[in-house]
Amino acid sequence: MSLLELEGVDAYYGESHILRAVSLSVEEGEICALLGRNGAGKTTTLRSIAGAKPPAVRDGRITFDGTEVTGRAAEDVSMGGISLVPEERRIFADLTVAENLHLADVARNRSNTFGRSIRIGRDGMTTEEVFEFFPRLEERDSQKAGTLSGGEQQMLAIGRALKQTTELMMLDEPYEGLAPQIIEAVEHAIERISDAGTTLLLVEQNAVAAINIADRCYVIDQGEIVFEGSAEELREDDETRERYLGV
Amino acid sequence: MSLVSEAARILLNGLQTGAIYVLLAIGLSIILGTLKFVNFAHGALYLIGLYAGLLISQETTFSGGQLAEFGFGTIGLDWGFLAALLIVPALVFVLGIAMERFVARPFYDRPDTDQILLTFGLAIVAQQVVRVLFSGSSQNFAQPSWAAGPLQLPLIGGFPQWRLWVIGITAVLVLIVYALIEFTDFGLTVRAGTQDTEMVQLLGIDISRPYVVVFGIGAALAGVAGVVGGPLNVVNPTVGTDILVPAFITVVIGGLGSIRGAVLGGLILGITESFLIQWSLVIPSLGIDYGFAPWSQVGIYAIAAVILLVRPQGLLGSEVDVS
Ligand SMILES: Nc1ncnc2c1ncn2[C@@H]1O[C@H](COP(=O)(O)OP(=O)(O)OP(=O)(O)O)[C@@H](O)[C@H]1O
Ligand SMILES: [Mg+2]
Repeated sequence: MSLLELEGVDAYYGESHILRAVSLSVEEGEICALLGRNGAGKTTTLRSIAGAKPPAVRDGRITFDGTEVTGRAAEDVSMGGISLVPEERRIFADLTVAENLHLADVARNRSNTFGRSIRIGRDGMTTEEVFEFFPRLEERDSQKAGTLSGGEQQMLAIGRALKQTTELMMLDEPYEGLAPQIIEAVEHAIERISDAGTTLLLVEQNAVAAINIADRCYVIDQGEIVFEGSAEELREDDETRERYLGV
Repeated sequence: MSLVSEAARILLNGLQTGAIYVLLAIGLSIILGTLKFVNFAHGALYLIGLYAGLLISQETTFSGGQLAEFGFGTIGLDWGFLAALLIVPALVFVLGIAMERFVARPFYDRPDTDQILLTFGLAIVAQQVVRVLFSGSSQNFAQPSWAAGPLQLPLIGGFPQWRLWVIGITAVLVLIVYALIEFTDFGLTVRAGTQDTEMVQLLGIDISRPYVVVFGIGAALAGVAGVVGGPLNVVNPTVGTDILVPAFITVVIGGLGSIRGAVLGGLILGITESFLIQWSLVIPSLGIDYGFAPWSQVGIYAIAAVILLVRPQGLLGSEVDVS
């Protein structure tokens, strides 16, 4: 059984039909990439999984670890073990680095969030462990997050996700707007997270970077899945890459 | 009276007037900042706090209104001011929570104009209900006996003791709320929510609970403003809507969502108002003796306009667009 499964998901923003019968699955332990052009529906897919609204999922099923999570509140999905490193990072600029990280603890001190339907995932990292993972963040501990560089903000966004009880971490364009050597550092961090056993769903426009580290790939275009296969297969499928990814 | 003592008196009166604005503005501001809810019924909570305080603390004879017609012209628990000061915040806190649940929550996703229409309508309803019950005439809200009369202060001489109490009570409440927001997990959630509510939820936090509490606290502070301001201001059904405008100006000049901004804004407005009320231009040689009291309301708009021209986001508002 796959860790995450989408079956025929239709998602809408208001009346506009964005995702059309999207089916995909993510296996435990792998790095799965979801690729596609600008506006293809990648973020919409992640938001649908995360329980963010809008979009509204009107049809289809999303199953996580054997339990249906379609339409659940975002906080419930998060507590169930899915974390999101969102597009544009969305760190809390006016809060300090430490406060940003502490917010994940605030949620976890809560006892009665989830009902029994989804098991709470592996315990997330402690702040100390996040600091070991990203020593740069420890140096910036009491600094306002808004004053961090782009790369440091991305580390914070990932660090925040690491503190959640994450079985599955979803990353939405984590390389966007970063300098090449920072991209390398983030890529390295993603590989380490994967090596530690967390399953990853990686969304990218930058297909080359994603194919590099992914085990399997999906390509989405105009809200429909148009390719599914191993990273190797996508690398060799010139037609798909040129037609849908422009590379 | 010397210039220094007059200045000190203006300052103290300004602090007291400002304190009432601060109590109202903090609730308005954090509700606007966190829930993005425009609450024109905030003044109604002041009105309800005021009348509830009146009825708890003393016996009042109403000359008109339905209650008088039905033979309940003289009513009130007469439990004293302290009882009112303790009971009213709890009462209005509960009212605020009910308001969040049944009025505000269904309208969170609606445009500002809908929220304004709804809450302004509610404010009018509250005002008219008070008018129907207790008539439109002004009442006398007695000062607490333990704080009546003047206190001899150095420099100033006799100064109404209750005004000092209002300043002190406000300062304590502001500090408590500030500490709650700055130093607790509850406050951290609220501050994060002010910046990005959805991201807070994506981290696994059910933000509706802290938000209910925010609404309740904001309401309770408005209720307290009604009670402590009661003996100093007019008591009639229109005070709720009357005080809404300076309260909103306080929020706007202080900066949306900022407690420190609400305090600063309230003090600036209060001192401006008190200055204009008490100051007169006297030049005996020219026979000029002009009091600026009629200009006091104009003055607070003028100062708001100037501040917003220089800093559109308010004095302590952040540069980012909160919408
Ligand atoms: N809040 C919204 N309301 C209405 N339409 C939206 C909204 N967000 C996205 N869309 C539309 O949905 C479609 C898919 O958007 P989505 O953000 O999922 O694309 P994406 O693949 O993440 O693109 P990008 O690479 O630019 O991030 C686009 O046509 C977009 O215009
Ligand atoms: Mg996107």
